[in-house]
Amino acid sequence: MVNKTAQMKIQQMSFMLLAVFLFFSLVGMIIITVKMSELRNSATELEKQNAMLLATKLASSPEFSCGDVYGTPKTDCVDLDKVMMLKENIKKYSNFWGSSNIVIMRVYPTNKTIVECNPTNYPNCSSINLMGKALAGYDASNFVALCRKEKDKGDIVTKCEMGQIVIRYEEAK
Amino acid sequence: MINKNKKGAMEFSFGWIFAIIAGIFILSLAIYGVIKFINLERQSQDAQTAKDIGVLMNPLESSFESIKRTMITTPAQTRIYTGCSNETFFGTQTIRVSQSTYGEWSEDGTNIYFQNKYVFSENPVEGKNFYLFSRPFELPFKVGDLIYLTSTKDKYCFIDSPKNIEEEIKALRGLEESKNENLFLEDNGDECPEGSINVCFNSVSGCKIKVFTNYKYVEKNGKRMYYQDDALMYAAIFSNKEDYECQIDRLMKRTEQLAQIYEDKSKFIFTKTSCDSGLSVSLIQLANSARAVVNSDSIGVIYSLADDIDRQNDYSGCNLW
Repeated sequence: MVNKTAQMKIQQMSFMLLAVFLFFSLVGMIIITVKMSELRNSATELEKQNAMLLATKLASSPEFSCGDVYGTPKTDCVDLDKVMMLKENIKKYSNFWGSSNIVIMRVYPTNKTIVECNPTNYPNCSSINLMGKALAGYDASNFVALCRKEKDKGDIVTKCEMGQIVIRYEEAK
Repeated sequence: MINKNKKGAMEFSFGWIFAIIAGIFILSLAIYGVIKFINLERQSQDAQTAKDIGVLMNPLESSFESIKRTMITTPAQTRIYTGCSNETFFGTQTIRVSQSTYGEWSEDGTNIYFQNKYVFSENPVEGKNFYLFSRPFELPFKVGDLIYLTSTKDKYCFIDSPKNIEEEIKALRGLEESKNENLFLEDNGDECPEGSINVCFNSVSGCKIKVFTNYKYVEKNGKRMYYQDDALMYAAIFSNKEDYECQIDRLMKRTEQLAQIYEDKSKFIFTKTSCDSGLSVSLIQLANSARAVVNSDSIGVIYSLADDIDRQNDYSGCNLW
């Protein structure tokens, strides 16, 4: 009879300890899940901030900027001829700017349909998808001048149009 | 009777022993978990701060505006470790942060990688407030922006500096002297703030950093770092030999790639408009020279070539940059 009571007590204690252990494990798991979600959100937020700041300054990057090619130096001016050649060499730049994709679009004059630029149809096109990826995820953008050199009645002229740099980024996984 | 009492005093039931062992096990596990969790939390905080610093460097990309300086403030005493690797095509800039909590520094944090940044700083740079400023690196076209990171705790005293450097530091300091100011201009070392890092120009004694403008090199910790323009001179002043040489290598790789893009652009414009820049051969030469640069000792050669190319571009009817 004494032995049986002792066994019962040990069993009770074991179950109690197991329950306490499971309870704290569960609480721990919930905390970790919440923290992971917070971490993911802040990583996405940082990606967003990076994309926004990049969009405002990418036009000054050597691979995009007009420099002094089109007369006086210009801010937020993208040399479209140079960007076309950048696209030809884009493999080396795959992770260079830390964004998932960069798209340069002509805003004005408008095109009825989006025509992707290539050396054959350039400049009669409206978009340069630099990384060539599908347009997925979130984006941040900035308006810029898109300038290029053109031949007009035998003269070499500068032509600038209104465009947009779109920086694409994905949600942190 | 006495025996019976003694036995009762010493007796531990199995239940007690089991509870004590299990309790110790659960408590140890909980303490271990909490310590791990706190470390993980601190590491994630450090990684976030490092990424934040990198992101905040984006606006330092210069166009043609004058030189400017920005300050970043961290919530706690922070050590920023900058690193450079040239293993991948463009190489990588790493930023790692360690923060102090109740006087204890967090364990080595996570490295955050950037391919498009070139940061020059002491390693580590420690403080709560940090100044950042940048200068474009041109060879002869813009290759990138060199970012200089200094702590407000490290006071740099520029002694007998040339006129152009003096003007530039005055512009960085602004009209009113900030209480966090860390750049000083003096005619001799005695007037420098106490504990400052003295940067001497063309002088041989009493300075931690010596800049020889005639021979175009900076001597720091007994090591020479060669430069050609002011952007690289500041880079040598604020960083160390290993990082400086690694960043030179990365900049040369980007120069090589940009020379390739400009050469392609030259051909592309010629096909489109029959306008010939006449720079194709020179750009191939520039790319080859950039590839051949192994350290700052041989950087002079590429600069003289870049000067020639820049002149050609200026007089070309179809300039490329």
